Amino acid sequence: MSTICITGMGVISAIGHSVAENRQSLIHGICGISSLELFPTKYAGLLPVGEVKITTSALQEKLHAFETGITRTTLLALHAFAEALADSGLTNQQLLADDTALAGATTVGGMCLTDELYEDANHGSPGSEYLASYDYGSVNIYLQQRYGIGGIINTFNTACSSSANAIAYGARLMQQGFARRCIVGGVDSLAKFTINGFNALHILSPEICAPFDRDRKGLNLGEGAAFLVLEKEEDAAGKKVYAKLTGWSNANDAYHPSSLSPEGNGPFLAMQGALGGARLQPGDIDFINAHGTGTENNDESESRAMNRLFGSPPAFASTKSNTGHTLGAAGAVAAVYSVLNLLHQELYPGLHFRHPIPETGLVPVEAYVKRRLQHVMSNSFGFGGNCSSLIFSNV
Amino acid sequence: MKPLFIHRSACISAQETFGVIDLDKPRESVDNLLRVIEPEYRDIPTAILRRMGKAVRIAVGAALDLLPCEKTDGIIIGTANGGMEDCIKFLNQVIRYEEGLLTPGNFVQSTANSIASQVAMLGNNLGYNSTHVHRGLAFENAVIDAVMMVNEFPGTRYVLGGVDEISAYNYTVDCLGGWFSTKPASSGDLYEPGNPVSMAGEGATMFLVDDCAAGALAQVLAVTTLHSNNLHAVKRHLQSFLESQPAAGEKIDLFLTGENGDPRLLPSYLACEDVAGNETPVARFKHLGGEYPTSSAMALWLACQVLQQQQVPANMMKYPVTGNVVYRKILIYNNYRGNQHGFMIVGSIEHGSGA
Amino acid sequence: MDTETLKQQLKEQIIKFLNLLSVKPEDIADDQPLFGEGLGLDSIDSIELIVLLSREYGITIQDPKEGRKILVDINTMADYVEKHRTK
Repeated sequence: MSTICITGMGVISAIGHSVAENRQSLIHGICGISSLELFPTKYAGLLPVGEVKITTSALQEKLHAFETGITRTTLLALHAFAEALADSGLTNQQLLADDTALAGATTVGGMCLTDELYEDANHGSPGSEYLASYDYGSVNIYLQQRYGIGGIINTFNTACSSSANAIAYGARLMQQGFARRCIVGGVDSLAKFTINGFNALHILSPEICAPFDRDRKGLNLGEGAAFLVLEKEEDAAGKKVYAKLTGWSNANDAYHPSSLSPEGNGPFLAMQGALGGARLQPGDIDFINAHGTGTENNDESESRAMNRLFGSPPAFASTKSNTGHTLGAAGAVAAVYSVLNLLHQELYPGLHFRHPIPETGLVPVEAYVKRRLQHVMSNSFGFGGNCSSLIFSNV
Repeated sequence: MKPLFIHRSACISAQETFGVIDLDKPRESVDNLLRVIEPEYRDIPTAILRRMGKAVRIAVGAALDLLPCEKTDGIIIGTANGGMEDCIKFLNQVIRYEEGLLTPGNFVQSTANSIASQVAMLGNNLGYNSTHVHRGLAFENAVIDAVMMVNEFPGTRYVLGGVDEISAYNYTVDCLGGWFSTKPASSGDLYEPGNPVSMAGEGATMFLVDDCAAGALAQVLAVTTLHSNNLHAVKRHLQSFLESQPAAGEKIDLFLTGENGDPRLLPSYLACEDVAGNETPVARFKHLGGEYPTSSAMALWLACQVLQQQQVPANMMKYPVTGNVVYRKILIYNNYRGNQHGFMIVGSIEHGSGA
Repeated sequence: MDTETLKQQLKEQIIKFLNLLSVKPEDIADDQPLFGEGLGLDSIDSIELIVLLSREYGITIQDPKEGRKILVDINTMADYVEKHRTK
């Protein structure tokens, strides 16, 4: 079974438009959550969000992407994808090959264009330029066409665990002979549709989120994209290898459509499964990049699951207090950050934490620190009980 | 790839495919739509049924038909649009109530993974759970996922399905996009020359799959996908796919084509018919279930029916067939909107493993 | 509107709003718990009922947890509506 290596990365989020920028922000505890400026909404100024501070037309200019019907979601994906490709040094010939796959993810797709979709779906218009852009597949179909990627193309939507599943899928395609290399990741952009959906569930915080804090009030939505290039160890000879993807697992909480079981069964099984796949023991994990959204439900359930599995959990923190919850991109963004943890042997502070949750007593990393790390676990838990866990290891 | 064995299947479609199966006298479209015949959902508690939009209802209805007494290790679903009806209902609320106080039920049900999640909740299934949403290849990607799961975890068994529904989103938007038409037409005339477009359909097709031949109905021997607008590339891909199969020399007994009445797509269907062999019987299915992104799931179900019954309903045959055909190996081809191509080879169990 | 009529109206509205298939107003006793064992509603329903109270009666309840204390059964619900309705 080939060892899966990460040879390229790209990320764009509220805390930076590149891997390097994101890392600097993480080191310095920069919070990218602020007021929404991107589109008119009743909630601008009321609900803080992790907006990528670059307009859609500026993205188009920067990326030379003026195709009819291109959406912000696709542009964010393109931005991170292009960075990852350049970083990996994959050749054009390799991209065109039928053994190069792309496994991405999104929960919004083109529905960032909430008003346009309303018009188109309700006969209100003669048809906008976005008719072929609304669905989830539109993002990766664009990337495939722009780059001519010759192999399997897939898009996942398992809510907040979408891109973690895409990453695992890419690795599995490679290990089972369906692909030789795979570009994996995910994207989501802020959308009136999603803001209103989450707000209707009363899980958005009117303040900046405080993952694992006793007084947390909910999550902040964010947007962003991240991609990683996965290559087999034998193909990566002579290339820089950032880290290895050594474990992955997916389990379902099967409890409720939009909340996790109090005991955190799905999270527990996902983390346990990833350890099994990586042939590691709980004690081998040096750091957990937690899902930690800042909702009452997630953070308590996740904490319980960590306590159950690890007894005494290792260092952990969530970066959602830096970037907001980027939904379909969350798993991939966290993956990039986990690779940075390993590459630079460092931990970033979890922001806005003051008091532990009384029922579970866990305290995240609160200050930047250099630390010897061999294995990092990254968790993504979503609506529909979809729970996924990835393990990255040092080369 | 190692074969994926299909043990049970259930299909809710515009035809009599659920419960008593009868495809000999197909029902025709109504108002240019091939809407599903919904069964009575006896296995879905009303407390849960009340919330479900159609995509979730038909998917869960089909899945539960497979599940009594069966242990399953996970749920793998392909759906391009998920619960689009609920999506539009929530979207309409957002606009009409000007982002005021909104009910969250539609939002939660609209998420694409609500199908797989609901099946998991009803079966208390804490195993692997994935939702593939890559438009016209969502089901093929789900099949590949299932193939990989049984390889990684021998002895495990999964619910594998493809679902999509007709809703304001994919019907109105698709009419505006030139994929369907509101000009009165019938599915009975779908393949007539001069027919300008395809016809919207919907369906939920579920399979119970694993890596064990004993007791299986059929096996998926191979699956491949391609993104291309180039006819020659499609032909080459199919040629190379067939040549790379372990039993490459064996003939294909039936070419099950996704030909759908849309003249823009006909060239690639004819080209692939050519590759499949001039003597190979050709059967069509889109007049039965209609056009929707995961219709290849219905094609797989039909292939299983043909392999078991050893006959193809006359209304499906494109050309007259002379003599008796023994159906052992079926090639399925679907082209979604010109640039997404999915191919599956399905074999009978007596046919032997393709590995 | 008198209390009995209001209670009947609330039952009809709850059934329609929550799409409670095969439940009729006469199946809901005035003191039957709406959540948990009684009518079996859950957390998403409690949010939906808050929206119902807002749209039909002009009542604003900010916090779903507060809502659960009001939405115990038809009696408490009717009582609250009578005291706080603005429509």
